[in-house]
Amino acid sequence: MEKESIIRELGKIVGETDVLTSEMELQIYGYDASLIKGKPDFVVIPESTEEVSRIARFAHQNKMLLIARGAGTSLSGGPVPNQGGIVMLMTRMNRILEIDLENQRIVVEPGAITLDIKAAAAKLGYLYQPDPASEKATTIGGNLAENSGGPLCFKYGVTSNHVLGAEMVLADGRIINVGGKSLDNPGLDLIGMITGSEGTLAIATKIILRIMPKNEGVKTLLAIFNTVEDGANTVSGIVKAGMVPATLEMLDNVAINAVDAFYKIGLPIDAAAMLLIELDGLQDGLDRLAEHVIAICKGNNVRDVKLAKTDAERDKLWMARKGAFGATGRLRPNYLVNDGTVPRTKLPETLRRVGEISKKYNVQIANVFHAGDGNLHPLILFDERDKDELDRVHKAAFEIMQLCVEMGGTITGEHGVGVEKLAALHLQFCPEDLAALENVKRTFDPDGILNPGKLNLMASEACGAKEIAYAEN
Amino acid sequence: MQRTENLVSVFREIVGDAHVVADQDKLRSLAVDDVIPGLMVVPGTIAETSKVMAVAHGLGLAVLPRGGGTKMSLGGIPARADLILSTRRMNGYADYDIANLTIEVECGATVAEVQAKLSAEGEGYFLPLDPPHFREATIGGVVAANSNGPRRLLYGGLRDIILGNTAVLANGDIVHAGGKVMKNVASYDLTKLLIGSLGALGLICRTTFRIYLKPEAEATLFLAFADLKDADAFLHKALPSFYYPAALELLNAQAAAACRNLPPLSGEYIVAVGLEGIREAVERQIADMAEMGRKSGAQGTASLKGDGHRGFWISYSDFTDELTKSHSELIILKSNFAISRQTQVLAAAEKAVRKGGCECALACHAGSGILTTAILAGGDVAKKEREIIKIIEDMTDMAVKSDGNLVVEKAPRFIKENVSVWGKIGADVGLVKGLKEKFDSTGVINPGRYVGGI
Repeated sequence: MEKESIIRELGKIVGETDVLTSEMELQIYGYDASLIKGKPDFVVIPESTEEVSRIARFAHQNKMLLIARGAGTSLSGGPVPNQGGIVMLMTRMNRILEIDLENQRIVVEPGAITLDIKAAAAKLGYLYQPDPASEKATTIGGNLAENSGGPLCFKYGVTSNHVLGAEMVLADGRIINVGGKSLDNPGLDLIGMITGSEGTLAIATKIILRIMPKNEGVKTLLAIFNTVEDGANTVSGIVKAGMVPATLEMLDNVAINAVDAFYKIGLPIDAAAMLLIELDGLQDGLDRLAEHVIAICKGNNVRDVKLAKTDAERDKLWMARKGAFGATGRLRPNYLVNDGTVPRTKLPETLRRVGEISKKYNVQIANVFHAGDGNLHPLILFDERDKDELDRVHKAAFEIMQLCVEMGGTITGEHGVGVEKLAALHLQFCPEDLAALENVKRTFDPDGILNPGKLNLMASEACGAKEIAYAEN
Repeated sequence: MQRTENLVSVFREIVGDAHVVADQDKLRSLAVDDVIPGLMVVPGTIAETSKVMAVAHGLGLAVLPRGGGTKMSLGGIPARADLILSTRRMNGYADYDIANLTIEVECGATVAEVQAKLSAEGEGYFLPLDPPHFREATIGGVVAANSNGPRRLLYGGLRDIILGNTAVLANGDIVHAGGKVMKNVASYDLTKLLIGSLGALGLICRTTFRIYLKPEAEATLFLAFADLKDADAFLHKALPSFYYPAALELLNAQAAAACRNLPPLSGEYIVAVGLEGIREAVERQIADMAEMGRKSGAQGTASLKGDGHRGFWISYSDFTDELTKSHSELIILKSNFAISRQTQVLAAAEKAVRKGGCECALACHAGSGILTTAILAGGDVAKKEREIIKIIEDMTDMAVKSDGNLVVEKAPRFIKENVSVWGKIGADVGLVKGLKEKFDSTGVINPGRYVGGI
């Protein structure tokens, strides 16, 4: 079909002004927060399930690629249209449709911003627990597609533990419902399947989330250590004592320096590690638990440990963690962040070896990580104009993924495979595993229309994973 | 007959002489919905299971996996049953990592065996899994049937506590999904797809779970209510509170009578609140929630700790077994629904059962919206066939109206032939069939038993 008639047909569905085709507009929707870049052929902005369905049917009938996109904060190339096609911008479908307190559910459209959903629930004394670092910008549809994590996962789980149902549009435009407000619906867990599928199986148009009553009490502590081992041993000690803190977050020396340089909050810049700990639950006994945590810190040579006494103090302690990526990003023009996860007890060894990889490839790495669940975030700093450095960055990143798998973990804990990690899938999966994953894709999207070139092998075969992953070299 | 003898020798070669059962009496006792299997094979390893499946796949044999046998009545009537594949010899640990709080268990271990081992470990650990019949039920069966228990309210259901699954597909391929870390987004979440699949896509051989250190304190608070309205008022206060009980169970008098250690409270309905955590918090929960109950009209409250508390929950998990002692043939239904509808669903169940001239024991995971109904037909079930079918239909309608559905977990064949055992079939069944087609195109595993008759 001619370009002009495609624009006309798409315009009939969403209205002429909601089909974007100018060079500048196409550029804007060609990238995310990773290093991967592409360019769509068209951008459309639907406002209803019906429109999404009609767009999908149109794409299906004309064998055009269709890529759903939220706020574009993905760190793995998830929404990047690297093979062209129609980018479908979901941000206008951003309504909170229903807050059902009696059933502890909130029903939203995919373009709703995560923090807006959390705020709407919080006003009524409820929490939507997942808290990806980019929650101010990310859409819930993107969180669903990537199965986003965040600092609270150690206790409360990831996005897929809180997504209970969805209305979704299939590759051929059919609209179906999976899961629901109730638990244990008979049949396969298709809502679990869709969550984390990076938009390659279906497009969610309505999402049912779990919300929970707010806890009565919270204790936030910040501990400073002279060695990373002491920090990691403290984490192990807390977990071994049977505590399940909501948060166990760590920053290493490079990250501490970056944060302090930017926020000027008086962190000791010679410290090796900073650990943020948050306990929640009923008030009763919480003080005793906090004292226990302090004792464990002291048993592991803590240099300084602070307990927040007010909400303002708590916010200040959190600032160091929440601002870590941004502050570290200022050190060099670019950073690439890995998110491999290892069993918690393997953290000290893994971090030591990440340090060795940093030396081997002569790249600077800052570590900010979810210590409770073993989820690393080595931020590899560089300047993309330096092609030699960029090459070393990619090699270091790949070696870190190899290391995580070797330690019994995974190549990606929360950022997704996207385009970035396609070449690393075989590190974790044998051919039989990959064949099974491919069967899932073929069932949902036999023509390979939805977000091609992402996540699964079928797509990676189609586009040549290695080439794409290193295309930015 | 010639064919069966050949098969016996083929499978003996794979699993050893002692592990192929061809004795007709034994096989008759393993019948599923009156379909008598041709053989039982008991592989000792996943590699052997893979070989058995590959042979079955090549010959077009139907394989019915079996663990402790507690879920054999679940699902549609099997289209064929050439082979029962017993998982009981695969009962070891592929990974046992107490320091990381994860274990990878083989499918044939019973939940009770795993709990006993963890309990004896160091300061005492546990798997946050308390399904019905946990003494006989195996890990593989519990995962395949998505069989959850009361404490899911605090710890989450199987989909929340499982980190990975290894399955043998119909063609013998061994497939690994997930792993042992809590965050893992490397490709599609096959781990979740296998939970509740009744083996439709593959035989679940190993599962990795998150485990916990035993809580510092545990207790049960019982509240007795004269009617459902008062019990509902209590639940409406308890659920949105920050007390976060571990379990919140609503039982009618018949279900309560089948449990042990219940304090002497008079009331048509008992709410049992499971409490776990640090000492101070559990004491406060007991006091505050008992007060909450009294304000909602509870006629009496009592609490239990220690062995009494533990004994109650064990008996509760087996309450339908207790009923079986006095009622020859139980019909067991599981309804799921949005939690705000729980008392309406309960009331509708009572009404439907009464109309059908039967009685029922009702046990509801009140915070999770799951109701187990045991229909007590009294005497000859066959004589009440039509009434029981009507009860199932009425209760399915009610569950569907309440954003849920209904599964017939156990019923005689003549009932199952006349009802939809998986409840109302939704539009997503097309995808379920599509996945089955890709994973097991010739219908080797459990043919006819899963959703949509696949």
